[in-house]
Parts: sequence; C-alpha cells; structure tokens
Amino acid sequence: MATVTFDQATRSYPKTDRPAVDALDLQIDDGEFLVLVGPSGCGKSTSLRMLAGLEEVDSGAIRIGGRDVTDSPPKDRDIAMVFQSYALYPHMTVEQNMGFALRLAGVAKSEIARRVAEAAAILDLQDYLDRRPRALSGGQRQRVAMGRAIVRSPQVFLMDEPLSNLDAKLRVQTRTQIAALQRRLGTTTVYVTHDQVEAMTMGDRVAVLKDGLLMQCDTPAALYERPANVFVAGFIGSPAMNVLTGEVVDGGVRLGTAVLPVPRDRLARASGGTGRVTVGFRPECLELVPPGEGVPVVVGVVEQLGSDAYLYGTVGDERSGAPLQTSDVVVRTEPRHAPEPGQTVWLRVREDALHVFDPVSQVRVD
Amino acid sequence: MTTTLPGTGTTEVRPVDVPRGRARRGRGGRSGKAGPVTYTLLTLAALVSVFPLYWTVVAGSHTNAELAETPPPFLPSAGLFDNFAAALEQAPIGKAILNSVLVSGAITVGTVLFCTLAGFAFAKLQFRGRGVLLALVIGTMMVPTQLSVIPLFMMIAELQWVNQLQAVILPTLVSAFGVFFMRQYLISALPNELLEAGRMDGASTFRIFWSIVVPVARPAMAVLAMLTFLTAWNEFFWPLIALTTANPTVQVALAGLGSGYVPQQAVIMAGTLLGTLPVLIVFTILGKQIVGGIMQGAVKG
Amino acid sequence: MTIASQSTREALVAVPVSPAPTAQRPPARRRRRLSQNRWGYAYVAPFFLVFGAFSLYPFVYTAWVSLHRTSLSDIDGGTWVGLENYRDLLQSEFFWNAARNTLTIGILATVPQLCMALGLAHLLNYKLRGRTFFRTLMLMPYATSIAAATLVFAQLFGRDYGLINTALEAVGLERIDWESGTWSSQFAIAVIVTWRWTGYNALIYLAAMQSIPGELYEAAEIDGASRWRQFLHVTVPSLRPTILFTIVVSTIGAVQLFGEPLLFAGNGTTSGGSSGQYQTLGLLMYQQGWSNFHIGQAATTAWAMFMIILLVVGLAAVIGRLRARADR
Repeated sequence: MATVTFDQATRSYPKTDRPAVDALDLQIDDGEFLVLVGPSGCGKSTSLRMLAGLEEVDSGAIRIGGRDVTDSPPKDRDIAMVFQSYALYPHMTVEQNMGFALRLAGVAKSEIARRVAEAAAILDLQDYLDRRPRALSGGQRQRVAMGRAIVRSPQVFLMDEPLSNLDAKLRVQTRTQIAALQRRLGTTTVYVTHDQVEAMTMGDRVAVLKDGLLMQCDTPAALYERPANVFVAGFIGSPAMNVLTGEVVDGGVRLGTAVLPVPRDRLARASGGTGRVTVGFRPECLELVPPGEGVPVVVGVVEQLGSDAYLYGTVGDERSGAPLQTSDVVVRTEPRHAPEPGQTVWLRVREDALHVFDPVSQVRVD
Repeated sequence: MTTTLPGTGTTEVRPVDVPRGRARRGRGGRSGKAGPVTYTLLTLAALVSVFPLYWTVVAGSHTNAELAETPPPFLPSAGLFDNFAAALEQAPIGKAILNSVLVSGAITVGTVLFCTLAGFAFAKLQFRGRGVLLALVIGTMMVPTQLSVIPLFMMIAELQWVNQLQAVILPTLVSAFGVFFMRQYLISALPNELLEAGRMDGASTFRIFWSIVVPVARPAMAVLAMLTFLTAWNEFFWPLIALTTANPTVQVALAGLGSGYVPQQAVIMAGTLLGTLPVLIVFTILGKQIVGGIMQGAVKG
Repeated sequence: MTIASQSTREALVAVPVSPAPTAQRPPARRRRRLSQNRWGYAYVAPFFLVFGAFSLYPFVYTAWVSLHRTSLSDIDGGTWVGLENYRDLLQSEFFWNAARNTLTIGILATVPQLCMALGLAHLLNYKLRGRTFFRTLMLMPYATSIAAATLVFAQLFGRDYGLINTALEAVGLERIDWESGTWSSQFAIAVIVTWRWTGYNALIYLAAMQSIPGELYEAAEIDGASRWRQFLHVTVPSLRPTILFTIVVSTIGAVQLFGEPLLFAGNGTTSGGSSGQYQTLGLLMYQQGWSNFHIGQAATTAWAMFMIILLVVGLAAVIGRLRARADR
C-alpha cells in the first residue's frame, strides 16, 4: 500500500501548443480510491499513463509511497494496470495471463498457482482458468484483466476506463463489484473514467480535469455541494445544474422580469464591478411557489421518468409574450402533479442551495 | 532473384474492418451465384494453368518420335522412370534438390526472423529516422536484381564463395517485401495496449517480442515463410551467377539441363519434373494457405 | 526480393542518434525516454546489416563500376572512363535492340495478362462451389519456377516435336518455327510470362474486389445499374489503385526479364536467338558481364534498366496523383 503524489507533473506532446497535463498537483492517500474524470482530451488518461510509466513526465515529479518514480520504468513502480481493452494476451490461457507478471518476476510455480487460484476465487473465474480470452464473454474478460492486476498485490491499481466496453447493465453491476473489491483489498487505486456517475459512485475522492488542468479534487458529496467553479458545477450531476448569468440588482440578480435573491456580500464579491453575476442551482433544489412569487418559467417539455418528472423551460413570463432569457432551466418536480407544456410556473430556489460564481473568472464565491 | 514476390497489392485498398473472416467477406459486390458459363470459363482457365505441368509428365515419358506423332500421346507411360534415371545421371538433380532445400530453408528462417523483428519496430516502436529507413526499404523493392549482382559477384569472388551455398543464402537472407508485409500486419493485429500490458507486467523488451509479438504475428509469419520458401526455391538469376552445375540449386541444374546438349526432350522434361515436384507437393498441401496469404497480403499492402 | 541487403552500418550512420531538437522544449529537464526509443534500432539492425551489405552497398557500387572499363577477369583493376560506357551504350545497336524487345515482350506479356486476371477475378468472385480448388489451381503456375516453366514451354513450342505445332498441323495449318521468328519468339516468351503470373494477379484483384463494401453494389442496384454497369462503375474504380500497382509491378518484372529468353533457345546462348530477336535488357546485361566479361558495360546496362523502372514508377505515381486529384 502506498500514497501517490503528482508534484507539478507536466506532459507536453511535441507540436502542440498547450500541455496535455499541466502542472498537476495531486496527493492520493494510502488505500484511497481516487477517480480522475473529465471530458475527452482533458488529460485524465495521460495522467494515469504518466503514473504508470507509459508516458514521459516532461517536468515535475511523481512519487509512489514517497519514492520518486518519475524516471523509473513501469516494472520498477510496483503497480498494476487494467486497460480499457483489457489487453489480455490472446495466446495465453486465463491462468497464464494472470500469472505472467509473477512468472517474469521469478516467483515459484507453486506460489503462482496459489495466488492465481486465490484471485480466481475472488473474481469467480475458477471455471475458466484453462480458456483463452477469445472464448470468454466481455464481462469475464474484464474480470480476468482485474485478476491479472490483483495477483501481483501491487502498491497501486491503475484502471483506465475498465468498464467502457461493457453493456450498460453489466457496467452498473461491475461498478459496485470493483468498488467493493477495492475496499476489501485496501489497495490505493487510481481510476479513470469519462462518466461522472461512475466517478461519483466509486470514488473516495474525485479529481475533475479539463484541458490538462485540475479543476477540483474532493469527495463526491463536496463536489456536488460545493463545486469550485462553473465547469465542475455543470459537469457533476445529471441533469446538469442550471447556470444563469444576469444583471445585478438590489438584493439579487435579475432573471427575466423577476429577481432571484442573492445574499448581498456574495453578490458584491462575485460581480467584481462588472454589474453581472453567475448563479447556479440544481434541478432538485427548486420549489414551485404560487404565481407572482419567485421566478417565472415557461415550460417547454416535460420528461416523465416515473419516479420524477423534469420540466425543461425558459425563464420568462407570459405577460412579456416571449421568453426574456434563452437559457434553459431544468426543474425536478413531483411526477403526478407535473405542469403541462406551455404553462408558466413560478419557482423559488432553496436558499442553502444557491451557488454563486464570478462571471469572469468562473470561480465559486461563498 | 527475380522481382518475384511483388506480391502485395498495395495501396489504399486497406480493409475498413476485418474482411478477413467469413464475416464480411463474400459479397465483394456480387453475391450472385456462378452460372454454367462461369464454371466453364473457370474450368478452362484451371486446365490451362495445370496443363503444362501435366504435359511435363507426358513428355517426360515418351521419346521425341512418339511426341511427334499425330495424335500425340496424352497419357504418361512407364518410360518416365527410365527418364528420371537418365536425368539424374545427366544432371545432379538429387544434389540440387538437397541444396535447394538447404538454401530455401535457411533463407526462409532468416527472412521470417529478421523481417518480423524489423517489421515490429517499424510498426510499433518510435525511433528517430524511422520514416526515412522505412522509405529506404520500400524504395529498394523497385531496384532490379541486375543492379546488385556485379558487386555481389566481386564480393563472393573475393571471399572465395563462388559455388558455395552461403553465396546464395546470405544476400537473400532478408527481404524488403517481408519487412513491409510484417509491418502492415502488426500495425493492425497488435494493439498498443498489449505491449503496454507487457511492460506493466515487467517484461523486458526482448521478452515482449518473444512472448507477445511473436505469438500475435504467427499467422503472418507462416504466410511469409511459405511465400519466401517458394520464392527462394524458384530464385534463378543470382544462383545462376554464383553457382555452377557442380554444386547447383534446382534452378541452376535445370538451366544446365536446358542449355546443354541433351538429345531426348523426355530427359529434360523428366528432370524438370523432378526439380518441380517438391514445390508442387508443398503446394498441394499448403495451397489453400498460400492462396489465403497472397490475398491477405494484397489487401493489407 | 532483391538481393537484399545494404549495409546497416551506413544506414545507421545516416541517422543522427543524439536527440538534438528536444533541447528546445522549455521547462523540460531531459529525461530518459521511456518509450523504448533506441530499442527500435536493435530490432531493425539485423535486417539492415544484411540489407546494407548485400543490397544497398552493391547498388551504389554498381554505379561506380559503370564508370570504369572493367573486366570480370580483372575485377579490381578497372580504368576510369567517366561516362564513356553510357555513351557507348546509347550508341550500341545491341542496347536498342534489347530495349525494343523488352518493350514489345513487356507489352505482349503485361496487357493481356492483367486483362485476363481482371476477368478471372471477376469470375472467381461469384459464389462458387470448389472456390478454393479453382484458386489453388490458378496459382500453380506461380509456384512453378521460371526455369521449369520455360523448359516446358520450349518443349510445347518446339519446332519438330512440340505439341503446338502438332496441333497446328492437325488443323491444317503450317508448322511454325517459333524460336527463330521475331514475333513468334516474342509471343512465345510472353505466353510463358502470362501463364506464370495471370493467376497470381487474379488473386490480388479478387482480394481487392472482396474489400469493396457490398452496400456500394446494393446502392447501384437500387439505382438500376446492370451487372455490367456495376462492374464498370463500382468494381473498376474501386480497383484502380490495385490495378495501377499491378501494372507497376508487372512492368518492373518485365524490364528485368531474363530467365525465359535465356532458356527458351535450349542451347544456353546469351544472345537471345541467332539474330538477337528475343534478346532482352536483362539478358544483354548478363551477356556483357558473364559472356563477354565487360562488367563495366554490364553495370551501365543495369543502371539503364533501373532508370527505365524509375521512369515507369514515376509515371504511375503522377497518374495516380492526377486521378486522385480528379476524383476530388
């Protein structure tokens, strides 16, 4: 077990103008499950591969268990990796695939057999040890890839989108299995995904990256409750948080004809003299209030999910004839009393659930 | 050394996916069933392809006079074996076959090994000058054999290798085509993640090659081996220069047989048959694989 | 398959091993590259060692030899003559005769061969019983060596005992002395080449045809195109790169034509018939070097052959590019 540290780690590819990973600072605790998440091209896979030793580190350092491994080849880092395509050796049986690293390390045959059997038992692979990858289902292959990592009992597991080749149902199932397995083994794990649901459900902490920069790294709950900037606010949560920018007026921000109340001190700090402010509120943090109070929204589409209903609407009001602001607003409501499309509803944001951002720097203001 | 093995059709025909298996093949457009006309034409073409070989057997078993009769004989006779004996006496066919097996075998082993190594490097490893070196390899596929035989001859004369088998083995031990062929195969058949997995598992560079690349490359290596053996067996120009009938390969022996004064055509034909039989036997066994290999090479190229 | 090999040594020297340009990357402390960089050289080294010694080096050295008057019996003691060999070559009637013969035999051997190959590929592309059987039989000639094929065809085309003349006589035609006539001998040699390579090229075309997506044909069919029009407007255009490639390869082969004319006469002379009626460039080069022992001249001829090949390949490249541009 070990901690993992990214210390100003940077990777620039030749002939590109900005680094793929830009001065990444990240401290991962012993036994922690850390998820790297972000849209494609954000540098999450590159970061993982830098940690793996598959990608060079142009500047900065990477430490595992306090040891500087920046220049070490992968085999000297005591890590194991699960690849997106699983990368199982096609000509080896499941058993040989899982035991390959141990064989290379010169571990005794009996010991290899014992450890492979142990991992196979954990992963429910005992019946497939003699098969080649070709003869396995997608889920089984995925488990073999996990097994190959487990048998080595490394200090750190690296997982690069290990679920993306599974179908939706299996993915959900495997997700919980991996998380449970990691907790049981207690091995420090760095996990890359583009799926924020995966990130939120699996990680002890989640690091959100964008354009090679670390946006925020915190527990799932904290990311959700207190996103550090507009990007994280929009990226985490589904449906996404409503983010609107409007003119500052006395005691709030003007949205359409209505005014959304915002505490005075936050308003002052967020507007920074521009006279505008960005606010965010999640779909589930809105309450329907009687007409005339709160912010009017014209309902465009109603999505019935059974457990909930989501209203997709536009801030505006029928008196003005047309929506005053084009930003869409999503509202979660009771499914049985959902309004009809075309209706106007009046909404109030729960006070504790209002996020305020500086419209220029996009940074959160508390 | 002829320009043989120009084989791979080239260029932009690259398969979108994997039309290799039965999965997507077949259609090639016309899923139409062949009619009687098609079968007739194809049978005709097949006959033309095979007839000269059959005629070798017939002509190898009859005297000149019998061959000149109208109608000529169309079936082989027992005379074939007498003519085999005569051919073996007049030309060192036995020795030639042994030599050809040695030469072709050595060339095949060397070519497959070296071309797999180089093909892997060109397909999957980054190193400075890779593009230039690859262009060099591909460029030399156009260079005619004639352009290198003179210095080569001087070289082997200097080394006193004239009439020795290494003189025909060494210069043919690698093939530009082979490198290109292996490269094309490995680019698509060997995922980068597999190599990375090997590195994560702690395999040395050599180990990665031996335990991961070679098993993946095996089908292409087999194809390359078959094509190389065939080409090496049929190599004509350079062996003719480097060897004499005192220590010939099959082709040199046949050339000697065809150029000397042999009164009976039948003896020449019998000798030709003897020299061709080993390849024909191999071809009968592996024909399907060779056909597949050539077609695969064509699409990959 | 050339006599491959060039000296690896030279090849590697040409490549700067020290990574100069990386120094400019600003904050980068230079690190040991993890991407297996220099292992690449280790993997290509055996190949380039042999390749360099036996292909690249001879290739360049031939150019050097071509500038000397050198005899095979006196290999090291050539006299520098500059471009004299080239001047002589261009004034030599033997060269022009061989060049002319190479051209006519090349055309006779290549054009029908590729057309037939295309047709055969088309037939083989139908759903067939015994598909593998047909394909394998058609590849048999490719497996037959030049020497064997030529000896058999020399027999078939023989004046006195040849089957072809017997057949001609049987239908009431004159016997032909195939070997002694210019056109007849060139035709016969072209037949040998065609026989050996048609099946092979058919398989190349077939492979290319099978990689054409079936949807293209379905679309054409829905548009009302007949089978023949589908062949013309879908198959042939899709095959264009392959066709161009086979033309280039066949031409390269034709320029080097050697074994067939050498063995066709059946007496081992290198003159290509009593009046050189089927003397080719490849044969001429062999005659100059190994019958007349003028290896300087032979080297010059070899270079001339290479120039012709370069011309053909260059032309094909230009055509390929023009077509590609026209398509765009």
